Amino acid sequence: MAVIAEELARGQRAAPPRPLGALLGFVRCEPVAAGAALVLLLICLVALLAPLIAPYGPNTVFLRDRLVHPGGRHLLGADELGRDVLTRVIYGARVSLTAGLGATALGVGFGVLFGVISGYAGGLVDQIVQRCMDAIMALPPIILLMVLATTLSPNLRNVIIAIAVFVTPGSARIVRGAVLSVKAMTYVEAAQALGVSPVRVVWRHVLPNVVAPVIVIASITVGSVIIIEAALGFLGLSVHEPTATWGNMLNTGAQAYMEQAPWLALAPGIAIAVTVFAINLFGDGLRDALDPRLRGR
Amino acid sequence: MRTYALRRLGAAAIVIVLVSVAVFVMMHLLPGDALIAKLGDTGRIPQDKMAELRHEMGIDQPLPVQYAHWVGHIFDGSMGTSLIFDGQKVSSRIGDALPITLELGVLGMAAALVLGVPLGILSAVYQDKPLDYLVRVVSFVGLSLPSFWIGLMIIVYGTLYLGYQPPRGYVGLLHDPAANLKLMWIPALVLGYGLSASIMRMTRSTVLEAQREDYTRTARAKGLAGHVVVSRHVLRNALIPVVTLVGNQAAFIFSGALILEVLFVLPGMGQLTYTAILQRDYTQVEGCALVAGAIVVLINLLIDLSYGVIDPRIRYA
Repeated sequence: MAVIAEELARGQRAAPPRPLGALLGFVRCEPVAAGAALVLLLICLVALLAPLIAPYGPNTVFLRDRLVHPGGRHLLGADELGRDVLTRVIYGARVSLTAGLGATALGVGFGVLFGVISGYAGGLVDQIVQRCMDAIMALPPIILLMVLATTLSPNLRNVIIAIAVFVTPGSARIVRGAVLSVKAMTYVEAAQALGVSPVRVVWRHVLPNVVAPVIVIASITVGSVIIIEAALGFLGLSVHEPTATWGNMLNTGAQAYMEQAPWLALAPGIAIAVTVFAINLFGDGLRDALDPRLRGR
Repeated sequence: MRTYALRRLGAAAIVIVLVSVAVFVMMHLLPGDALIAKLGDTGRIPQDKMAELRHEMGIDQPLPVQYAHWVGHIFDGSMGTSLIFDGQKVSSRIGDALPITLELGVLGMAAALVLGVPLGILSAVYQDKPLDYLVRVVSFVGLSLPSFWIGLMIIVYGTLYLGYQPPRGYVGLLHDPAANLKLMWIPALVLGYGLSASIMRMTRSTVLEAQREDYTRTARAKGLAGHVVVSRHVLRNALIPVVTLVGNQAAFIFSGALILEVLFVLPGMGQLTYTAILQRDYTQVEGCALVAGAIVVLINLLIDLSYGVIDPRIRYA
């Protein structure tokens, strides 16, 4: 009997996707998003291959080239210590992307965990988890992150943890909503009625059905996490100098030498903008592809 | 309605208590303690003297007792004294800074609504026309550009080429409204542009949805002019989710205002919290975080309670 219910329930799940066909379908339906994905892939490659691509070392100092204009042997100019700006933008991609992906994975991961527990258990557990999430969400992100970044010492791992704390409640709330609607489905009720253990119901029937919203939240979150990491760097609360990050490039030289060297603020900002723009376009396309009802909204 | 309001009020109170616990715990996770922060680099002090001072400050007691003391200070209205600025009440410094942040937040929100709602409507009415694409690109750019970078660009290039003078020194709104608005409008516009992007997208999507509803079709069928249908039938229904969005953005408005204050040297809550963190003035940071959290909770509560007024269909089931 239980086997039959399992089979019935399995029938409700989407057919297993064929990767290549799905990819081609995505490119055909969402060409802009596919283009954005290509740009993202390029940015990731640049970050991975930084030591091979960058013209100099990120901390190589050319004393004679301090605050030199863009052009010549420093394509995007050099900063107040004579370090090549292009090189530091390339290396900065590593920190931004690691923080973006790491904090999103960690934050959304915990969001799924809390969202599923909260939505599936319901009752008192739901109330407790939701009020805790409300409390974190009530703190303006910058204050929360300022406090966390000061509490934890400013290295990449701790910055990722701090941002993940901020990401968790939002995704927990969305996952909880999705779990609540899946929980009301007859196939879940059937499995429960047949005495399937809650963990198994969640694993086999609930989780596969909340994957789509989770992918969409994750893809959109990466962009805002990159902006937040840059904001922390800009305030001097992210990974410290001399590590090159887009945020702290805007913090140090860009503000102190804005009159002599206005280009110092340009390159890291454009790098952030292009990356986040591509992520948002890709996330939007992904949302449309996973939920065709939203297309064109 | 009354039960609903009371329930929401209870939940808001619980959240504020949780915020206070979270802030307190986070600040006490910091390495070192308030005494070390207060003494800074004043030199070596004998251990027994340190113990005596800790006892005087009450920081040698267990954490729950210290929390109770802090809550006591919240209720007596002082929120404790600043560790760095001797004798100054935490609450009085917040009282000076908060109006500036609130003003920036309100102006930013107004700018966002003025930009976001009309553009969102135009985008929906001209769906899939060039104007629609233009508005969507503008909103995507708004979502992708960090507001502090836009601000920095305005300061750097505005100063160099457009004769813009970033504000030096703050003038109160009540003291000299014209001078105050002159230094607030650029940060408010920068803050508003970032926010307008999500308002634009939400307005567009809800207007599109409302345009496909039966009541809109009926209105068109009885021969009403296009702009009457949009203003009288579509908009009234489409703007409800936008109100929710505005409420949900409260925490982000606050955040955006905080970072722009640091950039534009406005002595609001952001500047206060930021300098307090750099100076390790823990009691001040605790006070700022708690007040910021409480304001966000209150805004969300007001938005929840206002649904009944805006949308009579909601019966608080």
